[in-house]
Amino acid sequence: MTAEKQLSETDSLRIISQMIDQAKQENRENGKGWILWGWLLFLTSIFSFVNYKLDLFSQYIFWNGFGILALVYFLFKALQYFFFNSKEKVKSYTKDLLQKANIGFFVSLTVITVGVNVKIDPVTGFTILIILYGFWLLIYGAALNFKPFTIGAVLTWGLGLASLFVNTFDKVMLFHAAAVLCGYIIPGHMANNEFRKARKGASINQDLSV
Amino acid sequence: MFNELDPILHSQLRLAVISLLISVKEAEFTFLKEKTNATAGNLSVQINKLKEAGYIDVRKQFKDNYPLTTCKITASGVLAFEEYVKNLHSYLRIDPKGNRDHKK
Repeated sequence: MTAEKQLSETDSLRIISQMIDQAKQENRENGKGWILWGWLLFLTSIFSFVNYKLDLFSQYIFWNGFGILALVYFLFKALQYFFFNSKEKVKSYTKDLLQKANIGFFVSLTVITVGVNVKIDPVTGFTILIILYGFWLLIYGAALNFKPFTIGAVLTWGLGLASLFVNTFDKVMLFHAAAVLCGYIIPGHMANNEFRKARKGASINQDLSV
Repeated sequence: MFNELDPILHSQLRLAVISLLISVKEAEFTFLKEKTNATAGNLSVQINKLKEAGYIDVRKQFKDNYPLTTCKITASGVLAFEEYVKNLHSYLRIDPKGNRDHKK
């Protein structure tokens, strides 16, 4: 049997706080997804705006391209999940909640996208999407206790509300781009910075071998 | 008068394991090993002690022909941890708000 080191009360508190911090790292958002999808959505909106103004190609060409890209990505993620068994080493209640929120978001997103293609006017459809982004951001902000997402949610809702009063595709594209910038890109970069800082701090290892 | 600190939890590695498990839903053995920097053998012994005390549940299965051990804190583990922290506070004379009492 291995001999155990004498543990003082102060050591105990230090271990508890270090380990809780280590576990918290697992819930930290690295922001990469928000940055990637944020920039893709932003550029698609801006290209669609320019395309509408200059009348270069069919109106939805960039959104169709984005849709194909998103479909390929989700198929890849599904294959990775089912066939390459990329199960995570740790499960947390926060991750569980966010996974369910993601499912809810993507189901709603798909239904709205189908709606835009078959029934809803695209201007209204994009306004609904902006409002949905705000709801998703609020959940992330609350679950991760990360204020930039919560602020992003409020700004996104404000932009969603304002876009109810525009009636042309080009204008709603600008509102969409602004919403993505406030809700995804800026908070995503901030989350990424914090994640990298926290990782640097956590790399100072403590040897707990008894 | 001070209550005695739970001897099962008052050990460096066992306390580290329980502190990690209190913050997550469940964790694999490799995660605990990585976060505590303990050796596999030692960690295994300490996990067994926590299991015998009823503080954690240990599930053993296979993934791609490799053994996969998953640990999860139990309700009595949560209670024991809370009690341990409460007793620790009284030893260090910290009030529930986190302020130190300097009175002797």
